[in-house]
Amino acid sequence: MKLYQMVVKDVIRRKKRVLYASLGVVIGVTTIVAVLTIALAAEANIYGQIEKYGANLMVMPAISDIDIGLGGLSLGTLAIGENYISEDKLPEIRRITDGKIREALGIEDEGNIATIAPKLYMNTKVNGTSVIVVGVDPQEEHKLKTWWRVSEGRYLEGPDKALVGATAAELLELNVGDTITLNGREITITGILEETGSNEDYQVFVPIETAQKAFNKEGLVSSIDVRALCSACPTADIASSINENIPGVRAVAVKQIAETEMGMMEKISKFLLALAGITLAVGCFGVVNTMMTSVHERIKDIGIMKAVGASRNQIIKIFLYEAIIIGVAGGFFGYVAGTLLAYIVGPLVFKGVAVTYVPQYFLPSLVLATFIAVIATVYPAFRASKIKVADSFRSL
Amino acid sequence: MLEIKNISKIYGEGPAKVVALNNVSLRVNEGDFIAIMGPSGSGKSTLLNIIGGLDYPSRGEVILDGERIDNLGENDFVDIRRGEIAYVFQEYHLLSSLTALENVMLPLTFCGAEKGEEQALEILRRVGLAGRAEHKPSQLSGGEQQRVAIARALVNSPSLILADEPTGNMDQKMGREILDLFHQLNKDGRSIIMVTHAPEIAKQAKEIIVLQDGQIVDKISQQGGEQ
Repeated sequence: MKLYQMVVKDVIRRKKRVLYASLGVVIGVTTIVAVLTIALAAEANIYGQIEKYGANLMVMPAISDIDIGLGGLSLGTLAIGENYISEDKLPEIRRITDGKIREALGIEDEGNIATIAPKLYMNTKVNGTSVIVVGVDPQEEHKLKTWWRVSEGRYLEGPDKALVGATAAELLELNVGDTITLNGREITITGILEETGSNEDYQVFVPIETAQKAFNKEGLVSSIDVRALCSACPTADIASSINENIPGVRAVAVKQIAETEMGMMEKISKFLLALAGITLAVGCFGVVNTMMTSVHERIKDIGIMKAVGASRNQIIKIFLYEAIIIGVAGGFFGYVAGTLLAYIVGPLVFKGVAVTYVPQYFLPSLVLATFIAVIATVYPAFRASKIKVADSFRSL
Repeated sequence: MLEIKNISKIYGEGPAKVVALNNVSLRVNEGDFIAIMGPSGSGKSTLLNIIGGLDYPSRGEVILDGERIDNLGENDFVDIRRGEIAYVFQEYHLLSSLTALENVMLPLTFCGAEKGEEQALEILRRVGLAGRAEHKPSQLSGGEQQRVAIARALVNSPSLILADEPTGNMDQKMGREILDLFHQLNKDGRSIIMVTHAPEIAKQAKEIIVLQDGQIVDKISQQGGEQ
């Protein structure tokens, strides 16, 4: 009989006690895996919430006001440049933006990444009242304005249709199904927005082509809102790249939003890291505790083994083998239990979060559990192996 | 083969000081069968533990085959426990999770033997427990457990067997069986030192040493012992 065979036999027969000893490992790993799995799922969820901040990059026509002065006398300013951006520049803006994001995230996805929402603003009169009509790309705008809720009717879905802000609808006494004329063009109101608390409440939204035709601005847009889908996208980089490469436009990173987002992200990451660290520490402590107790309970056995010829190394080996068995088993069950726990608790903590098991946690779970079990066992076993045989019997 | 010289063992310090052994000297020759007698607290078990290296003396020397062993480190003592000296305890001290056979094989395992089942079974047969090889200690009677413990002590063929009240937990019939076993082992040439507080058990030995308050107060030689 070899030493490890003896340990395996022993572990199988002392199932209950070994299971108890591994309970600390299981609970520790369960907690760590559950917290990290939920955190990973929640991260995406929280980032999704941050997306609702809207555009983080704005592209405007490059108009520069030049002071005209004569001596000390100011003669006012002269605006130079166009008031509109040509639609032709949209693909170029997309190319630059998506390119930068791919570069930043190291992805090779071919599809569109950023949301690029062109707008055409027009000041006009509806029923004798001055309102701002905004021509939008319905699909892109919908992605951008995640907070929009249609209170009546439907969202924009075709040409010559309009979506009216809550206050505008009230002031102009407009209802779904009414028609209005914009610069002589008949438009049907198909939806009314819920109040948003911003100036969108006073605006009328129509598809951009409709606005362009109505106001004879074919091929032109007033500004472009860009929303990089990733929260950590290099918006300042994208802006400067657009400014360098596309003449006639001025791209501005909306710093406040970008900085807030980055700040939040950093805080969330730090928080999750701290949470994982604390869990790890608590889990480890539990493991160390149970393993030390289990070694202590067997001091008499250690004495017996020494009395019949076990060397200190052999005693330590016996506990080491046992710790490896406990660690691997504990790590395995801990991973399974932690993942299950994450599936149960995750949705309770973060509404609508989609928890998925994380296979990358499996191996580290085993390694960590074994490592801790070994550390927690070998030290007390080392100390216990020092005890004089006579004392080990007396200690009971 | 074994000699102890001026052994003292003191537990504690100051007012709590207890002198368990006071200047004890003893010689054990090959083929000896010594019974150490004395009331509780007279230092019998302490003396046995020191002879076997389970405990260290405060003063004095233990010499085995011409070499001092009382000052040996743990690792050097392992070799002595693996061949020269074996123990039999009053409480048997079997590992409860192992079968009788596995308990007997334990010393062989620690010596690095990969097999040893046959050898262990043979010795279990000698102590009359071949049929109980696969039983756990909890499924055996006290006498049977003690015989397993004796088998475990014998498996490495030690030249000296130390037994601390080996029959202490048994009725007379079982005690007699165990003692018969010791006599046989002694006839085979093994030295035996046995601690007991029962005179009728001590009478079985060739020599009786009486301890009182940590000192040897009497040595009685009884040629051949009472068989």
